Order: sequence, then structure tokens, then C-alpha cells
Amino acid sequence: MNANEFDVIIIGGGITGAGTQRDCAMRGLRTLLVERSDIATGATGRNHGLLHSGARYAVNDPESARECIEENMILRRIAAHCIDETDGLFITLPEDDLAYQARFVEACKNAGIAAEVIDPAEARRLEPAVNPELIGAVKVPDGSVDPFRLCAANMLDAKLHGGQVRLYTEVTGFIREGNTLKGIHTRNLQSGEEADYYAPLIVNAGGIWGHHIAEMAGVQIGMYPAKGALLIFAHRVNNVVINRCRKPSNADILVPGDTVCVIGTTSTHIPFEECDNVAVTPDEVNLLITEGVKLAPSLSSTRILRAYAGVRPLVSADNDPTGRNISRGIVCLDHEERDGLKGLITITGGKLMTYRLMAETATDLVCKKLGVDKACETATTPLPGSEESSYEAVAQKIWETPSTAQKAMASRLGTRASRIRTDNPYDRALICECEEVSVGEINAAIERMDVSTLTDLRRRTRIGMGTCQGEFCACRAASLLAKAHACVEKERADLADFLNERWKGNYPISWGDTLREAEYTQWVYKHVLGL
Amino acid sequence: MKFDTVIIGGGLAGLVAGISLQRKGQNTAIVSTGQNALHFFSGSFESLQEAPPEMHSLFEEAGIRLHYREGVRLMPLGTFRPSCLSLEDISLFPSEKFARKVLVVNFMGYHDFFSSFLAEGLEKQGMQCRIRFLNLPELEKLEQSPSEMRSVQIARTMDRIWEKVVQEVRILLKDEDAVLLPQVFGLQDTSVPGRIKQGIPAQVVFCGTLPPSVPGIRTQMLLKRRYEVLGGTYLMGDEALEAHVHDGVVHSIRTKNLDSHYLEGSHFILASGGFFSKGLRSNPFSIYEPVFGLDVEYNPDRNAWYDKAFAADQPYMGYGVKTDAQLHALADGIPLKNLYAIGSILGQTHPELGSAAGLAIRSALEVSAQIKK
Repeated sequence: MNANEFDVIIIGGGITGAGTQRDCAMRGLRTLLVERSDIATGATGRNHGLLHSGARYAVNDPESARECIEENMILRRIAAHCIDETDGLFITLPEDDLAYQARFVEACKNAGIAAEVIDPAEARRLEPAVNPELIGAVKVPDGSVDPFRLCAANMLDAKLHGGQVRLYTEVTGFIREGNTLKGIHTRNLQSGEEADYYAPLIVNAGGIWGHHIAEMAGVQIGMYPAKGALLIFAHRVNNVVINRCRKPSNADILVPGDTVCVIGTTSTHIPFEECDNVAVTPDEVNLLITEGVKLAPSLSSTRILRAYAGVRPLVSADNDPTGRNISRGIVCLDHEERDGLKGLITITGGKLMTYRLMAETATDLVCKKLGVDKACETATTPLPGSEESSYEAVAQKIWETPSTAQKAMASRLGTRASRIRTDNPYDRALICECEEVSVGEINAAIERMDVSTLTDLRRRTRIGMGTCQGEFCACRAASLLAKAHACVEKERADLADFLNERWKGNYPISWGDTLREAEYTQWVYKHVLGL
Repeated sequence: MKFDTVIIGGGLAGLVAGISLQRKGQNTAIVSTGQNALHFFSGSFESLQEAPPEMHSLFEEAGIRLHYREGVRLMPLGTFRPSCLSLEDISLFPSEKFARKVLVVNFMGYHDFFSSFLAEGLEKQGMQCRIRFLNLPELEKLEQSPSEMRSVQIARTMDRIWEKVVQEVRILLKDEDAVLLPQVFGLQDTSVPGRIKQGIPAQVVFCGTLPPSVPGIRTQMLLKRRYEVLGGTYLMGDEALEAHVHDGVVHSIRTKNLDSHYLEGSHFILASGGFFSKGLRSNPFSIYEPVFGLDVEYNPDRNAWYDKAFAADQPYMGYGVKTDAQLHALADGIPLKNLYAIGSILGQTHPELGSAAGLAIRSALEVSAQIKK
């Protein structure tokens, strides 16, 4: 078989694409994934990082709620190193209707979500940061999940099962014979190189951009881009997820993750043209702060680290192009059946929480069409790195008396941390002090995880995500990348891009310590280092 | 406690004002939080070419030698910028191509000196480069700890073993006519950079590292030492909290450490720096000066504070405390008779005084002259 021929081609390097590639590869298919940017650049990397219990949807969208809680329990088993089992609270404030709580708990029970009404005093003990004025609380099995890590681990496992990944590769057109798609034309956006790939099936997992992919193939999916803005605070103010117990609304979820916490979101319909470059507006920042403080009052005196926004890939029901009846449920379209176009499947809708189920649904359809009879195993097979449930136990097994940096590394990589060289001081040297990322870990990511740019490196290692926002680690890591890619000139431009990208999340909130840090960083790069 | 002049801020502007006033016979005090822009000083006095007459002797007496020649200086990421008045160990070249072949020397495991960026920058100018890493057993202790290989820690070791570096470089040197070294020499012993230059048979160029800046910390140390030799009182690690002002005259300030022992003065100088040094503070609604509540020139629309491009000139960096032509700071539009603002807290409100280190020096000397008039 030709090197450009596969059983299935997956378009999109977000969590849906990566999960689908993993599932297909585990069922023995020869897979290729193409992504026009880096992994997790769309909605995958631009959300709360909330491991939903499903409680949020219990009242209005019971089907999604049931999917969420089932996947929640599965992800705890298969993605341990990507998950923090924090639990969650749904609080009722004096301005909310306490009667909603009973309806909410009932709906949770019907969906199979363990929801326990607790005393407000108990809630304050469980989560000291919670608004002390709460008049009601319900405990649910929420948690937090690192979507970058989850996406990278899925892709890595697909590769371990023989899958191929081409990042920064854009689909420029479909190869078509009559009513059948035979393959894709692609162009590498970095090298300009063009290539054709062939497969009897192509899965469109492009998230909101899947709209255009479908259009390119001549079929329509009525997608509805809904922008959501979020703020990251520089401390982990809360250790338990805090939600408002009311009909889902703006800025009513506060999620702890690693060393920070995230408040969100808003929901605004935006035109497709804006999906590539969503910016957070001052009004959104004000709203997020005002509402966030109601969940945890100490947020008012906590430094804001970044503002960011993502676009939810919502799908209008087929006969409802207005977008009024939008569910968060999974949409799997067989375009052969639906539009008479052979060779294309679209998997969309859904959410980060249900990515694995989306992948399973799409892969089942792929297998059916290819006549492959092999059951899905992704619900029971741990992702690479997740074979142990506690990162502390992992760190101890590898190093006996692990340093804080080694523990941090084990929390990022899980059992895969044992592959990072730490035997000599040069590999142990820290490049990013905020997140304690070493030379060894960065070089391993560059070697094995398809890293082209500093921003790619950030998504895989967390460099530049800490309180200094890349002030020091950016140019240190740039030297390592320049060496690995043997090109300083490109790296110089990459460093400038990275700083611009970090600034994009800082300027909407540039006051207080953020402005202070910004003054320092901008002065140092411009006038001291001479970038 | 009563002084002729109380200075708030112990960075470049505050120290130069303090030394200048002590030289003229005043009894002054400096209140310093310990955090100032000298920690990331490039070694070049932006916006100055020639030293004002008083600056020259003031620095000379502090043991700091300066020089200027028209041309360019080399930046740590391998680019060139026009020359300005610089510390003696900052190399200034008539043009970018300062050598034929350059040996770039770094230390094994040191990530804060950008040897590959430098080599590429020099090659672009037609110079051949060879990068070599020194593996010195004396640095092993630092290497063992993952965050110890930083400029100041290395500089402390180098004060002891710089002669060994000279020997190693001599061994490495082939036909190169220039050697590029990280700026981690002469933290305590200021003669070291000069002695390294004498010991290596090629043009020796020191180039900057990631902050903290070794020449900056050295400059701070020497100026502070000189200030104290002249009898100045440097209150390290203290912070001005509030001021007592009556009828447009400042009487005293309260500090964190001295609390009820107010610092009284005939004159006050505010040299507390920009946002980084906390001379200016901000919240979502305003930019303000925290000690005296002075008038600040800024755009009340917070979306106008920044430019979306990281590398652009940022409007917020231009904001500063309002003053009259003699640099008396304004409160509610009225100049306080005995309070002057100098250095970065002025932002770009006085473009004729230059920017950064140049602004610090010019405004400090001007205010010192005003006070002694």
C-alpha cells in the first residue's frame, strides 16, 4: 500500500479528532490526522477545563447530563494524570431562588448524578473561599481536567498504535470521484509543501471550523458559533469547583486547575469570520469579575493572570437554521445517508467532557462502513501516562525522594515522566521556574511531541503559563528550540509571536500587578535584550 | 528625624540626587524598597550621549567609569542598537562588523546567555562565529540545583575564578580576533572586566544576560557606597506609606519601618519609579501615585492604556506624575513647593529630559541644582 493511503483520515487536531484517531487506531485502522494549526488550539484549549458532573445540564438537557456523568467516571479511570478530583458545589445565593434547588437535585438523580444537599456551614468548611452568604449548597462529583494534556495523550496513544499526525497542515480541497470523496489535498502552512492523501473515509472533526470543511465538500451543517470568555486568576483561590445553582447563565462556574482558577463564561453569537481571532472585550471582563466575586469574594483582590475566549461548536438542529433549539448533545452525521456524499462523516456538537463518546460514535460508524468488526476499548484502556492514579505515587516510584520539580513533572506527564532524563544537572536545570519545567522535559517534548513553536511547547509543558507569563522562560526555551530546529532566524520571529500571544491575554486586564509585570517584560525584551 | 532633603526611591535617580546633594553639603536620607530598575539596567544610559559635567565627576568618584563613542552596541539577542553613554565594560563599536571572526564563550548549563542568537546576529553582519561551552568544576555546585545557574550566582563565583576563565579562553582561542563573554564579571571587584581584557589576546566583548543585570547591581552598589561615604542615610527595605502636607508644603512622611518616627525634611524628592517599582499604581479605574496622591497624566479610558502589539510603544509607559517646569509635583493642579518628582515616575511627560537612565540622571541633577539654588 502507498504511503499516502490510509483507512481513515481525520481532519482536526482538537480533542474530538485526537480521540477519534486514538479509537480508530486502537481498532487496527491505519489513520492520518491533519490539523492546520497546533493541537488543542480551538475550543479544546479554550474552556474552563471543567470535568463536568453533568449537573449543570440536568434540568434543561438531561441527555447531555447523563452522557457527562458516564464519561466523568470513565475519564477518572483512563485519564488520571489529566484530572484533578476536586468535587463541586452548586450554591444558592440570597438573590437566587432556593426552590430551584429541589428541582435541580431531582433532575440530577434522574440523570444518575450523585447530588447531595449539604448545609451552608458544611459548604463553607468544605470550601473556605465560597461566598459566606450562601443559603443553600449541593455537592456533586465535578472535577478539573487539563485539556492540553488530554489531547496530547490521545494523540500520543494514536501514534503508539501506528497513527500518523500532520500538524500545520491545511486541507485545501477534496479529491472526488462523482459522489465519492477519495482523499484530501493539503498544504503545509510552514513549509508550503503540498501533498495528497487517500482514504475511503474522511472524518470531519474540525469543531467550529468543521462548518467550512463540510462546505468545501459541498454539504451544509448549520453551525452556530457561540463565543465564551473566561478569566484566569493567579492563585488557586478555591479547591472545589463552585457553580451557581440556577438556570445556566454568565460567569457562574469557578474551576480550580493546577496553580490557578478560572471563571467563566459568557455566551455571544459571533460571525464565522471572527472565529479565528476572538478577543475578550472590556464589558466581558467587567461582567466576569462582577459575577465571579459573587462565587468567591476573595477574587476581588486576586491578581488576574489572563483573559481568553473560545468558540463553542454548537450545531443547529437540521431544520432549525436559526439556532434556537441548540443542545450540547453529540451530532454524528453520515453524509452518505444524509446528503448522498460517500466517504465523509462529521462528528461535532458535544463537549470536551463527551469527546471519548463522540470518538466512539464516529469510530463505530467508520468501522461499520469499512466492515471492521472490533469493539471499542477506549473506555477501559488508560491513556499513556495514566496507568497510575496518583502522580505523587508515580513520582515516588521513579525517584524515591522526588523534588518538587519532579513531582510537578509527574503531575504533567503521569507515568511517562519516567522517560525524561534527569540523571545529570544539565537536564534538570529549570527553564520555567513558575511551573518548574526542566531542560529534559522540554527537549523530550520537542523530540517526541511535534513541537514547532514556543506556543506549541507551552501547550505540552505549561511553560509561560505561570505568574510571569513567559518573561524569563520564553527566551531560554527559544534557545533550546533554535538548537533543535537548527534555525535561529525562525526562532527569533517565533519568540516575538509567543510574546505577542501572551500579551493578547494580558492587555484586556492590564492593571495592578499584571501591568507591573507587563512593564517589566516589555522593557526587558525591547530595551535590555533587544528583540 | 529631620533631614535637609528626604528622597523616596533608591534607584538610579534617587541615588544620583542624593549623592549630588551630599556633595553640596546637605544631609539627606533615601527610603528604598530595594526594588528598582537598576536590576535590569542594560549598562547603557538611554537617551544620553555625553555625560552632563556633574555626572561625570560624580560617577568617577563613585568608581564608575563611563565612555561614549559614536556607533552601535550589541544587544543580548544578537541585534545592534545605536550607542549611548555606557559603563566602561559595555563595548561600543563604530559599526556592526566589529571583528572578522568571533569566539562566543558560554558556560555549560547556562541558559541566560543567548550564545546561538548572538552568533546568528553576528554572522548576519559578516562575522564568522564559533560557540564553545566552558565546563568549570567551580560551577558544579550551582549546576546541582536546578535554578542556581543565574547571572548573580555565577558572577559571585567569577569574582574568584575569573583568571581560570582567561586561561580557558586562551586555550580555546584559534584565529579569532574577538571573544564574546557573558556579562557576569566584576560584581564586587570592578577591576575584573579590564583585567580580563588585558589577559586575552583578542578584542574582548561582554554582552548582557537575562536579568538581574550584573553591571546594574554593581552600579547600584557603588553609588550606594558612595552616597553613604558622603554621609547619606540609606534606609534599605523601607517604604514610604503616607505624607503629611499642609498649605502646599510637605512636612514629613511616614514609612513602614520607622512608623511614628516621621521623616521630616525641608525638601522631598519622589524618585519611586514607574509601575514595576510601584511608584505608580493602577486598578481597573485609575492610575495613581500612592504616597502623596499626586496628579497623574493618563487617559481615563483603560482601553487606551495599551497597544495590542507587544512590541509597540505602550501608552501606559508614557504616563507619569504631573509637574511644573521646575519639576515640582502637582496635587489637585497646584504645585507642592518643596516636592520634586524625578526619574521614571515622570513617564514621558518631559520628553526634553529624555527617557529611562537619561531621564533619571537629567532630572536628578536638575532638581539637585534647584534645591541648592
